[in-house]
Amino acid sequence: MIILKVLILFLLSLTHSYAGDVQTQIASRLAKTAITNGDFQQEKQLKILRKPLISTGQFTYDQSKGVIWKTLTPVASILLVSDTRLLTTQGEQAAPAAFGKVFKAMLGGDLNQLTEGFSITGFNRKSSWLLELDPKDELLKKIISSIVLSGDNELRLLEIQEAGGNITRIKFAQITHPAQLTPEQEADFERLSP
Amino acid sequence: MNVYHPKVTAGIWLLGMVVISILGSQALTRHWLETGFLALLPVTEQKPEIAKATKQHNESMARNVIWLSGAATSQEAIVRAQQLKQQLQLSGLFNRIVLEFSAQNYRESYQHLFPFRYQLLDSQSKLTLTLNPKELIAQNLEILYSPIGQMQSADLERDPLLLFSRYFNAQNPVKLSVEQGVVILHDEQKYWAVLVTDLQDTTNKLEKLETLLDLAGSAQSQAQAAGGDLMVSGMPLFTAVGSRSANQEISTVGIGSSVGILLLMLLTFRSPRPLLLSFLAIGSGMFSALVLSVLFFGKINIITLVFGASLIGVADDYAVHFFCDSFGSEDWNPRRGLRYILPGLFIGLLTHLLSYAGLGFSPFPGLQEMAFFSAIGLIVAWLTVVMLFPVLLTGFKPEHEPKILKLTSYWQQHWPAWLLKNKRWLSVIVVVFIIGGIWQLTPRDDVRLLQSAPAELIKTADKIKQLFPLSQDNQFFLVSGTGQSDWHHNEQQLLKRLEILKQRQALKYYQGISNYWPNEASQRENFQLLKQTFYESGLLKQYMTDLGFSDTAVRAERKQFLEAENKSIALTEWLKTADETRQQLWLGCDSGHCLSIVSLTGISDLSALKGLQNLQGVSLVDPVSDLSTLFARYRVRASWLLAGAYALVFIGLGLKFGWRNGLTIISVPVAGAMVSLAMMGWFDQLFSLFNLFALLLVLGIGIDDAVFFFMAGDKRASTSLAVTLSALTTLLAFGLLAVSSTEIVHAFGFTIGTGIFTALMCAPLIGFKGCKIYNDK
Repeated sequence: MIILKVLILFLLSLTHSYAGDVQTQIASRLAKTAITNGDFQQEKQLKILRKPLISTGQFTYDQSKGVIWKTLTPVASILLVSDTRLLTTQGEQAAPAAFGKVFKAMLGGDLNQLTEGFSITGFNRKSSWLLELDPKDELLKKIISSIVLSGDNELRLLEIQEAGGNITRIKFAQITHPAQLTPEQEADFERLSP
Repeated sequence: MNVYHPKVTAGIWLLGMVVISILGSQALTRHWLETGFLALLPVTEQKPEIAKATKQHNESMARNVIWLSGAATSQEAIVRAQQLKQQLQLSGLFNRIVLEFSAQNYRESYQHLFPFRYQLLDSQSKLTLTLNPKELIAQNLEILYSPIGQMQSADLERDPLLLFSRYFNAQNPVKLSVEQGVVILHDEQKYWAVLVTDLQDTTNKLEKLETLLDLAGSAQSQAQAAGGDLMVSGMPLFTAVGSRSANQEISTVGIGSSVGILLLMLLTFRSPRPLLLSFLAIGSGMFSALVLSVLFFGKINIITLVFGASLIGVADDYAVHFFCDSFGSEDWNPRRGLRYILPGLFIGLLTHLLSYAGLGFSPFPGLQEMAFFSAIGLIVAWLTVVMLFPVLLTGFKPEHEPKILKLTSYWQQHWPAWLLKNKRWLSVIVVVFIIGGIWQLTPRDDVRLLQSAPAELIKTADKIKQLFPLSQDNQFFLVSGTGQSDWHHNEQQLLKRLEILKQRQALKYYQGISNYWPNEASQRENFQLLKQTFYESGLLKQYMTDLGFSDTAVRAERKQFLEAENKSIALTEWLKTADETRQQLWLGCDSGHCLSIVSLTGISDLSALKGLQNLQGVSLVDPVSDLSTLFARYRVRASWLLAGAYALVFIGLGLKFGWRNGLTIISVPVAGAMVSLAMMGWFDQLFSLFNLFALLLVLGIGIDDAVFFFMAGDKRASTSLAVTLSALTTLLAFGLLAVSSTEIVHAFGFTIGTGIFTALMCAPLIGFKGCKIYNDK
């Protein structure tokens, strides 16, 4: 029996080459709800700086509306993301709109959406799973070299590796799936609607 | 008349036609047909610089075609747009096809401007630096701590304050979403990939426009068949559709009036000879008109051709008078007939030419062309009748008495008798009708009525305008100054006021170069501002150290800053890095006088913008309303011209026939014109400059009718036939103009139709001595 278990584990570890299967498996593991709330801790390592930029805050994901990214420390700020818009305290942003879509898809674990712009490899093990996304878009490639997602039944870690060597690592905790948005969250999303 | 030899004059005519044919064989082999609608319009009467700017603006608009390829996903929209792009490239119609924004250009322009980063500040950053430099730090931290600040953090090493990244982003104030380098727009249902093209040549050759329409049509059906959609818009498309409908109208009017004339002539004369001769007269008239107009103007506009062709149709009247005269007396022969009708024909020709001269003195190139074209055509047709017909009509003498002759003969006796009998109440009705109608006449001078466009095309254009925030409005500001710094100051003042209006939602966007290029003085100011606030106040060191930069990095940054102190970028250098739309905003300096355009998008409160014209060196150019104003002004002027023409004809008639008779004759076209104006009023027809020109033609034709009746003597029966036939043929030709989809062509037809009909109804009163039948009773 032990031999059989080892064999199964071995086979499972091989599955990373069959990305399509892994993807479906992982997708089925992830909790499917319209709304996800949670805390994040983001660590940005910029080559030029001697210490990482660490920030913490809360995020809200809504399947149809987008993402609220509320940084609380060290500087309070808010970022609103939808499929087509990026809004910060400084107004509308000129980032590629595809980026907003990807960001939303990553947080929502919408792997189908991600396959459109990225080639995906990864593995799915009992305790955890990991996916590596490599951008297909030439322009996006110049900014981001790869994105790594990992988790269990939730997304736990998001790592963006930039072409220039900078790394952004975001850890998620305290994830909940409320049935409804708070009025405050509703109001934030309202600002995104055109 | 004794020296008159029909064969000699016929020979002279033939010789003339040979010369014209030879000229034609040279002239018509070149490209001679113009389709552009702008060519018909007068050059603005404003200052030359405004005219120049308007011209430049119009020219770029006249070549621009925009394509939006739509699909359910942006990926699909891009793939479709790429296929479309290949298709467009193969067509060879365009000299610029832009789908992907070139990353290469972007990088080059970044590298070119980067050395001047301490001099180039966007207005927002400049404001922040002036008011509260620490706010800039707070903003930077927000960007850097954001999960999406990748692009900026990548630049942090070269641009620690992120000032240049701000400046570079501010160059594109309209945030378009770009995927794979392609601009993507979206509405509720679809994603649209944007493709911008410029037609190769500005002349808009007809066959090219046809190709464009076909291309757009087939691409559209292809896209729809594949489950997507395609929206196409642009001035060339409007021109193309306009030309296509003009083309169709030429054939409708041409075929319609030909068939009508054919039937009338055959029924009346029962011989093909008058018919063939009529077509010979009109044909040689049109051919000569075409050849000489092309020689004179170089090119002739398609609308001239539509109008001119139907105006020459009037020439048929001369032939008709000639033929009808043959019914007038027993011993008729062509020479005797000619001698009899020549004075009438001559007066008729003179009146027509006089009215065309009226068109010729208008400031509209289109109308001048039309007047010239028609005058030549008319003269040649007239000469054909007078010089050639006597020979070709030899032996022509209809034996039958056509039914229509009996009809018109009866009509010319009884109709005026009835009119005179009931004149009391009739005149009251007519006077009330005329006054009431003219009372309701409201002029409309909108230049857009010149061009007809299907509702669908307008809808697409509006939809694109709504989706694509970069589509500029027709109106723009022209900023001038004596020298570059004066210009810069003036434009800056304007942009400041525009920013306030933008925040009040009077418009969506504006673009002026000085927004992106600070002049040398401002560049020095910017540097000094940075020096005070960051580089010499210790704030830079504090900011950089807090963020985690090494001391070496801080020192290196300060060193680079100080070394850049004396740098500055000149406008010409800056323009090289700018894209085409921005380069077009700069009109250059001419002997110390500098000019630029500030383009506007999404204007919702034009009057607020008009208010900015009191600023130094600023004027708002509104080509459409300028032209409409011009139309209104010339409508008033043309009214005087019209009155003058009527007066002049009256004087001529008075001198020839005596004042009393002159008054009688002129009353026919005057009645025609009055009733025509009244009809426009009652039926709420378009009343503009063009109707007045139509009334000039009513004058010509009305005089024809009246003069022939006046000189008819005992030949009233055959005269009434001639007048009726020619009025009917003219009504056919112009009545058909009234079916035109272009509103002004329709108005032209309507005016002439009602005017001529009235003139025809009044003409038998002239020279009416009372009817024997009535007298006997």
